This record gives sequence, structure tokens and C-alpha cells, in this order.
Amino acid sequence: MKKILLGLLLASPGILWAQGSQVNTQSQKAVGMAGAGSALFIDEASIFYSPGALAKMDHNALSVGASGVMYRSAFRELNSNDVHHTKFKITPPFAVFAALGPKNSWWKAGIGVYTPFGGSVDWGDQWPGRYELNHLQMRAIYIQPTLSFKLTENFGIGGGFVYNVGFVDLSRSIPAAGADGQPGRAELSGVGTGMGFNLGVHYHLEDNVAISLSYRSKVVTKLKDGDAEFTVPPALAASFPNTTFNAELPLPASFNFGISFPASDRVDIAADATFIGYSIYKELNFDYKDNTPALTDTRQIKKYENALSAKVGVNYQTTDRLALRAGAGYVYTPVRGPYVSPETPDNNRLMGSVGFTYDINDKWDITGAYVFQQLMERTVASAATGLTGTYKTNIHAPGLSLTYKW
Amino acid sequence: MNKVFNDIKVYIGIISIVLASSCKPEIEGFQTSSGQADFSKYVAVGNSLTAGYADGGLYLEGQQVAYPNLLAGQLKNVGGGEFRSPFFSEEQRNGSGYLQLKALENGQPVLENVTSNLAYRAEGKLTKYTGEIENLGVPGMRLDLSAFAEFGALNMYFERLLPDAEVGTKTYMEFAAQRNHTFFTFWLGNNDVLGYAMNGAVEVPGDPTKTLTAVGTFSAVYNNFINALTANQQKGVVATIPDVTAIPYFTTVTRAALLAAVNAGGANVSDIYIQTGAGTTRAATDTDLFVLPFSSAGLLGRPSQGNPVPYGLAPQNPVESKYVLDPAEVQLIKARVNEFNKIIKEVAQAKGLAVADAHAYLNRVKSPGIVYNGMSINAAFITGNAFSLDGVHLTPIGNALMANLFIEAINAQYKSRIQKVDVTQYRGVKFP
Repeated sequence: MKKILLGLLLASPGILWAQGSQVNTQSQKAVGMAGAGSALFIDEASIFYSPGALAKMDHNALSVGASGVMYRSAFRELNSNDVHHTKFKITPPFAVFAALGPKNSWWKAGIGVYTPFGGSVDWGDQWPGRYELNHLQMRAIYIQPTLSFKLTENFGIGGGFVYNVGFVDLSRSIPAAGADGQPGRAELSGVGTGMGFNLGVHYHLEDNVAISLSYRSKVVTKLKDGDAEFTVPPALAASFPNTTFNAELPLPASFNFGISFPASDRVDIAADATFIGYSIYKELNFDYKDNTPALTDTRQIKKYENALSAKVGVNYQTTDRLALRAGAGYVYTPVRGPYVSPETPDNNRLMGSVGFTYDINDKWDITGAYVFQQLMERTVASAATGLTGTYKTNIHAPGLSLTYKW
Repeated sequence: MNKVFNDIKVYIGIISIVLASSCKPEIEGFQTSSGQADFSKYVAVGNSLTAGYADGGLYLEGQQVAYPNLLAGQLKNVGGGEFRSPFFSEEQRNGSGYLQLKALENGQPVLENVTSNLAYRAEGKLTKYTGEIENLGVPGMRLDLSAFAEFGALNMYFERLLPDAEVGTKTYMEFAAQRNHTFFTFWLGNNDVLGYAMNGAVEVPGDPTKTLTAVGTFSAVYNNFINALTANQQKGVVATIPDVTAIPYFTTVTRAALLAAVNAGGANVSDIYIQTGAGTTRAATDTDLFVLPFSSAGLLGRPSQGNPVPYGLAPQNPVESKYVLDPAEVQLIKARVNEFNKIIKEVAQAKGLAVADAHAYLNRVKSPGIVYNGMSINAAFITGNAFSLDGVHLTPIGNALMANLFIEAINAQYKSRIQKVDVTQYRGVKFP
């Protein structure tokens, strides 16, 4: 009798820190302008958006903000009319920025703690892609101390060091039925760390036109000794031992160009273009500590392309205390059709946003924003699993932040 | 200032509308349609595969996921009517009894029989089901025997469906064709080769289920049967007969695996001896196909009755021909299958029927295999997901794939738009 080799396919779990997971919500002011404004806003969030601008702050400040990102995807398998929706989940990316330094000095120091990547998607275990993904939850927290110097009144330069802590937790069904006929399940979770840096310059032209250039390096996050747990029928337990895994996730570098100019006394217009170096994301490898014929190390092809986004926003200072803003943007996806996966069923997206900042008094202000992103409908056939169908995704992200200045 | 706050209210109102209308993305589907076909009364004509036989038996869970039942479920959206099957009762859900996987010992499957909640009214006789049905699948039904009324008394699955007065007097063709159907699926002919092949290409005198049907007989009966089913210009799908070498019944037990099993005990045997269909005895090669039950028959290496030489390990006591298909036999069977399939396709062409090409599809499952939404599907025994524990019949996954094969064939032939079955809803082999 031929020895049974359990050829149950366990395609590599695809953790993906993709465009789909990137919802920039570091500054609610920028969110209100659909992500534009790196040149316009000179505040503690410049630590993230434009470290060269930080030294131009004339005060110290601490701000705390959070968004409620609602990532809502739908899928319709080819030749079926059944539309499957992800469960309603809110991910709360947060951002804390502190800017400190002597008043009206040539330098400023700051620290930012924020979540540039993150998301939660839960398709459940009944949809046609269950063997690819049930749920994925992930978050990358960046901790970034930053120094910024004013070389001239108009020219600031800054840079920071980035330390990343990434959390991931995902599950998928395993096509091995137990006595009740139900499939098994794999759950993977882990914590990884990585390092990087960012650099930026900010320049004010004579006529109040401001330019911001910034570069954020890639951050290769190494997941070590993550937990892999398998729920399978007892007869297969030896083939799917609970074990640990290592993986490496490259978070891409980006280069941002921002410009802002006044349209009138009270109206500013800002535009940003961001180039994101996603092409480093070529493949995703999973190295399980204990291998069996059923549980082998996996290599998943990603073949991402570099991506580009463009955003434009308007800031309208209605009164001395209240600013209103709106923005729009377009993002090109880095993901090619065959590599689109349910973790972040990405596609080119349109963004629209509104926001406000209200100065409660000289010390406190509050900023709110809401961005809506619509990912174009996309019909794809997965190269890895054969899952074929149409995805459509809407992202809603209302957010609020509070700033204390002194 | 107040004006601004009034504005904010307007903005909030706008946002609320945007939220409410776009929170959940909607994806437009397609308009299902029956095309040129009328599915209001669909009947499924066929053998064990049509009946939902699996794991070496006919039982309720298998009946419920038989491919015609899954197909009928999808036809509901395009004018399909009631589709009834001769289900066993919940109390007698294990029907004829079937095989289940008891354990994997060192990676080897250990099978056992399910013997509770059976549906026998007497030995070899199942509880009758004579209500109106649309799933007409009868395990063991052969095309050649579909025209023989006597078969109703010989086959317990057919006997079960016949009122006493019709047992032995009504042919399966009559049983199937007199139901005022508007649409049909027809998948017969497998057993016209399989019964012979599963017995190692050895015919048994007096047993009509182990013969290889002649091409002329096949052609005549096939034409008659399809003529009967299309008497009122009904539309339908016919399916081709799979290659026997595409099923794990013939591909799991190999010479190498047998030698490994014999030598596991410390022996050093290098050859298995077989008796070929031509009557010669020779050492087995990798092209000889041993039947699946041979591995559990417990014969290999043991002395046989009246012969002290270890069975199969010496030319003096070779593995009997009924346990092995030698290349000549495989060629004969393959050629016969191809001839049958040629007839099937010709008849379909002449009658304007759709063809579900199970032969081509299962060959693709065998090699290179299919990855379906992350499930690996191939012809491997137990782990291949497509074939049940008897190595011949389909798992629920296999049935769902087959339902989709029929749906694709119908859609292509009749310009209908029937939704596919979500195969991931169904299981492969159950593991303990």
C-alpha cells in the first residue's frame, strides 16, 4: 500500500502589508485633505509627514489622535451571484506626536508613535476563499524619534530613526474534514520588529509657497518565532504539529513631494505626490520550525510593482478659530491581478475627504476628519489558489485628534 | 460662527448619506437564465455516481450531495422544479453500510465498515422506496443491462425502487423514460467497463456485471435509451466515461508499494509475481495496476490453501489475474472506453445534447491535478479530495466539481446562465 503522503495543500499564509493596509491617518489635518498637506501643515505631525518642517514650529505641542478605519470588502465568485461581505470591523490606528525644543530656536526634537500600516479583515469561514483566508488582523507600530534643524529662516531639514513593532494574527481553513465534516483551521500569530529612518527638507519660498520633500526608508520587519496552531482531526495531528514560524515582511520605502500655496487670504491649496517602492515585495516566505510532508515551508510570489499616489486638498480658515478642509486623491495599486488576495483585495482607489480644526483656546485645539476611499471593482484569478471573482472595497475612516500647545 | 456650525450640520448630513449608501460595497451579479432549456422537470439517469454512492456504499449523506442534487439546487433559480431522491430515512441513514476511515497507522489508512442504522429489510434487500422521484440513479446499473428486465431482481438498489409487481419485469430504460421529464442528465456506461476492470479484467461466468460490453451492444442500447429520453425533443446532458487509470482504485496499490510492505518486516524480496490476463506468469512491473482491495485482502506473502509457496512472491503461486490489470488489459479497457465515448459524443451531436466530458476532466484531476480555491484536488487516494474511500466514487467535493462540469456543459450548449456550485462548501474524505 502506498504510504499516504498528506498532500493537503497548505498554501503560504499571505501576510501582506500592502497598499490596502496602508491608510495614512497620522495627522487628522492631512486626513481632511485626503493625505495632502505635507508642505502646508507645520506642526507636531510633521515628524511623520515632513521632518524638515518640524524645526519651523514656533511652539511645543503634544497631540493624540485616532481613526476608526472601517474596511469593507465584498467578493463575488465568477459565475456565481452570491456576494460575500467581510464582517464589520473597526481598526483603530492611532498617532501620538510630541514636539519639544526651546522657543524660536534653530532646532526642534520630537517623537512620534503611529501606525502606518494596519487593518482588520474578516471574511469568516464560510466564503469560497476560506482556504485562502478567514481573517487577518495586523498592525505596524512605528516609534520615531526625530530631530529637525532650521538652516535658514526658510529652509528646514530633519530626520528620524524608525523602530517598528508589527503584530499579525490570521486564520484560514484547512481542507481536511473531521468526523463532523467541517474543515480544519490554521491560526498564525506573531510579533516582528524592524528598523528604518526618514529624512526630509522643507522650504518656504518668498511668496508663501512651501515645498516639502521627504523620504521614508523601507522597514524590513522580521517575524521570529510566531505561533502556528492547527486545529485538525486527531488522525492528522502529527502532520500539522503546533509549531513556530519565521517570516520577513518588507514595508516599502516612499518618497513624497508636497507643495502648498495660498489661493487667498484664508484659503490654502496643497498637493502631494507619493512614490512607494513596493517592488521590494517580491515574495513572502514562511519558514516553519517543524516541517512535515503536509506542512512544508512555503514561498508565495507577490511581484508587487511600485505605486504612486496623488492627493490635493483645500484648507479654508473660515474664522480665526475654525478651519475647514476637503480633499481628493487617487492611488495606483502596486498589486497585479493574479496576486490580489483577500487580505487586502487591492486596486486603484479614489479618495475623498472632509475635515476641520477648531481652536478651543490658545492651548487646545481639536481636529476631525473623515476620509472615504473607494477601491475600483476588480475581477481577478489568484495565481496561488485559483480563487476567481470580483472584489470591491470601500474604506471609511473618521478620526479625531486633540492637540495641546505650549 | 453660528453659520459655520450650521454648515457643519450640513456636512454631517452629507457624510451620513455617503456612509449609509456606500458602507457596504455591492457587486452586481448576472441575470440567471434557463436559455433554450426547460428545467421544470429534470430527471437524472445514471448509476452509482448519479445516486450519490460513496465510500463503498449508498447512504443518506452521500445521496444528499450527489451531483444531480447539487445541480438541481442551482436549477431552482432558472425554473427548476421539484427534485426528489430516494433518500434513506434518518433512522436508516447508513443505507447499505459504507466504509469509514478508522485511523491512519504510520500513514496507512485503516478502514472499517459502518454497520449501524442500515436499511435492510432482509438479507440483500433494502427498504423499498416507491414514491415519485427525479434522481433515478441506480448503483451498479450498466448500459447493457438497462434493457434487461431481469436486472430488477438482481440489483438490490434497483429492486428497492420498484413496486413488487415490476421487479424483474420492468427495464431500467422503461423506469427512467416514462416520467414526463423536460430535461435530463444521462451518465451510464461506466459499469460496462468498470465491473470488468475492477475484477482484474476477468469475466465471471454467469455474472453479467463483470463483463466488458461489446461496442455494438453499447451503440445500440445508447441510441435506444437517448431516443427514449428525447422522444418529445427534450434537452439534456450526457457525460463521458472516465479512464479507469484516472481513479485511485487502480493507481494506489503499486508494485513498489507492495514490495515496500513485504520488505518492511525485514525480508528482502525484489519481485512480485502475477498471472497475466493471457495466462502467463511473470514478475510484475510498474505498469501493472493492482486493485485497491488487494492491499487489505491479506493474501500477499502468505501460503495459500493447498500451496505452501508465499502468495505472490514466487512464480509457483502468483497473484491471481483478478487482482491485477496488466498493460494489455489496460490497453483493451482504455480502447473500449474511447470507443464508448466516441459513440456518446456522436449521439450527443446528433441530438443536440450537451456533453459533460468527465473523461477529460478526471484525466485533468489525475494529472496535473487541480487547485480549486486553495484546495488541492487530484486522484490520490484519501488525500486527493476528489475520490471517496472506495477509490472509485466521488467525495462531496468531487460531486460538487462534477455538478459544475454539468452546469458548464449546459450553459455552453443551451445558452443558459446557471450559477456554479460553491465547491468549498463540501468536504473530501472525513478524517477521524
